[in-house]
Amino acid sequence: MNAIVVENLSKQYTLPKRSKGGGMGTKKTQNTQGNVQAVDSIGFKVKKGEIFGFLGPNGAGKTTTIRMMTGVLKPTAGKIKIFGLDAWKNQIAVKQVIGNVPEMANTYLSFSGWQNLMFIGELYGVSKEERIKRAENLLKRFDLYEKRDVKTKKYSKGMQQRLLLCMALMSNPKILFLDEPTSGLDVQSAKIIKQIIREYNERGVTIFLTTHDMEVANELCHRIAIINHGKIISLDTPDNIKRLIQEHQAIDIYFTNGVKRQDIEKLPTVKEVQEIKNGFRVIIENIHDSICELVEFIKESNATIKNLNTHEPKLEEAFLKIIERGSKNE
Amino acid sequence: MSEEMIPLEKTRTSTFTTQMKRSFIIAKKDLKIYYNKPPVLIQGIFFPIILFIAMTVGRNVQPLYLISGLMAMTIFLTSTSIGPIVFPWESMRRTFERLITCPISIKTILLGSVWSSFIYGILFSLIPLILGMIFLSMELTISLAIVILGIIMAGFAFACFGLILSVPSTDTPGNTMIFTILIKFPLIFISPLFMAISSSPLAFISPLTYFIDIVNVGLGDISVFGSFGILLDAGILLAFGFGFLYLSFALHGKTLEKRFRG
Repeated sequence: MNAIVVENLSKQYTLPKRSKGGGMGTKKTQNTQGNVQAVDSIGFKVKKGEIFGFLGPNGAGKTTTIRMMTGVLKPTAGKIKIFGLDAWKNQIAVKQVIGNVPEMANTYLSFSGWQNLMFIGELYGVSKEERIKRAENLLKRFDLYEKRDVKTKKYSKGMQQRLLLCMALMSNPKILFLDEPTSGLDVQSAKIIKQIIREYNERGVTIFLTTHDMEVANELCHRIAIINHGKIISLDTPDNIKRLIQEHQAIDIYFTNGVKRQDIEKLPTVKEVQEIKNGFRVIIENIHDSICELVEFIKESNATIKNLNTHEPKLEEAFLKIIERGSKNE
Repeated sequence: MSEEMIPLEKTRTSTFTTQMKRSFIIAKKDLKIYYNKPPVLIQGIFFPIILFIAMTVGRNVQPLYLISGLMAMTIFLTSTSIGPIVFPWESMRRTFERLITCPISIKTILLGSVWSSFIYGILFSLIPLILGMIFLSMELTISLAIVILGIIMAGFAFACFGLILSVPSTDTPGNTMIFTILIKFPLIFISPLFMAISSSPLAFISPLTYFIDIVNVGLGDISVFGSFGILLDAGILLAFGFGFLYLSFALHGKTLEKRFRG
């Protein structure tokens, strides 16, 4: 069952005259008429109950995509369906079932945390009794209840972000759009937000999140799409994306007695050997074959292993590699 | 893979009454947040006082024109003080994107701004009326109802006019202030403030004129437009109001995206 279906989605901006000829600070595709192709025919499906990560460097088109999905921007071409409804043509109905935390958003600073929640609840048509109940529960869950009557201009960035998430959850949304939800937050706030994302996902809420934090993406997302220059260049599970850069698989091995680097390099499954403190980093192709081969080699060399760690490629390395490959192919 | 549909009853949230109700929620928020913001105080309270002093001190102004002129200037400046700053202020404070992703249309947000400006304008225009009655011994010789009708019509027309002033897609309220002053002041200077309507040649193109005429009638004078003058005044103010509203819906629809570029 799909919560979100995106088909051939594009967004082109006409730059104001003063901006034509560059100076955007991004690598968005700019045509001869001075138009910027922020999103270029992308397509994907997000399953109901999935946490879907949307990654990409600055200016890649992440925020533009999320803004089209939440009804802020009108797509130049293509379609977005949220639970089967066209997101642009049925904006109000779609907005009623989604929650949104835009990037760098703020709460109303002249309002207290409580007033912010009441205002948003009222806009979503939540009854007064239900608003009070939900606001109390959310503020307690997000560790903000004690500060509920304090104006939010006195909140820290982490508290603001937690309150924004509370505001997004006031309407019991079916889909939650989070644009950089943990960016620039303290450890405690980031941890609470990650816990809540998991918790609400377990309750069946579909989560669509953009992030720069690869740890967050790796920990939370069931699937990840990587976007660069307005195009999706990879879409898979975090594990599969990491496997795309097999050359980064490595074994860190430490011996008690002298083993020469050249001897390890001669092994057929070994691609490269790097010296690290008190040992070697062996770059390999296949972890199973290489470990068997190394064990055999050690037995034959009468060496003793002090420590051995497999060095899995990190999502961050995979991300950088995919972006680099994508840029070379263009 | 099959797709779950949003239940049909959810689409009812787009109905007129729901959106109207939500526009009042927006208005309540605007009034709470913006009534004491510096641009609103400057344009809504300080400017009427300063202009009143500048335009009346040392001149022999009839008490009737003093009251109608002050009321016109106050309701015009206060009703157009909140509308133009809501959009740039919300863009600057980064609350606008959150607001626009709520189940409301841009028209609902604009209507909310109209209601808040309308209420703000009406409240402040009552002050010169009350002061005039107390200090200048003015009596409502004909009808308070006529004056109130004028206040309501003018409040609506000017609140809608304020929306047009908020069209430029800036996130700096100061820029909007400069723009609004450039538009509002010439309109004030061509209006027959503190004088007879017939003595101002360009008066008829200003919506303020029709409000002044209603107040003058309410305070015992006769309409410059003849026996059905106040009906004509009310009709023209309503036409101005709906015209401004229609124009602002169209212009904001076009400039909205510019607030989210980049």
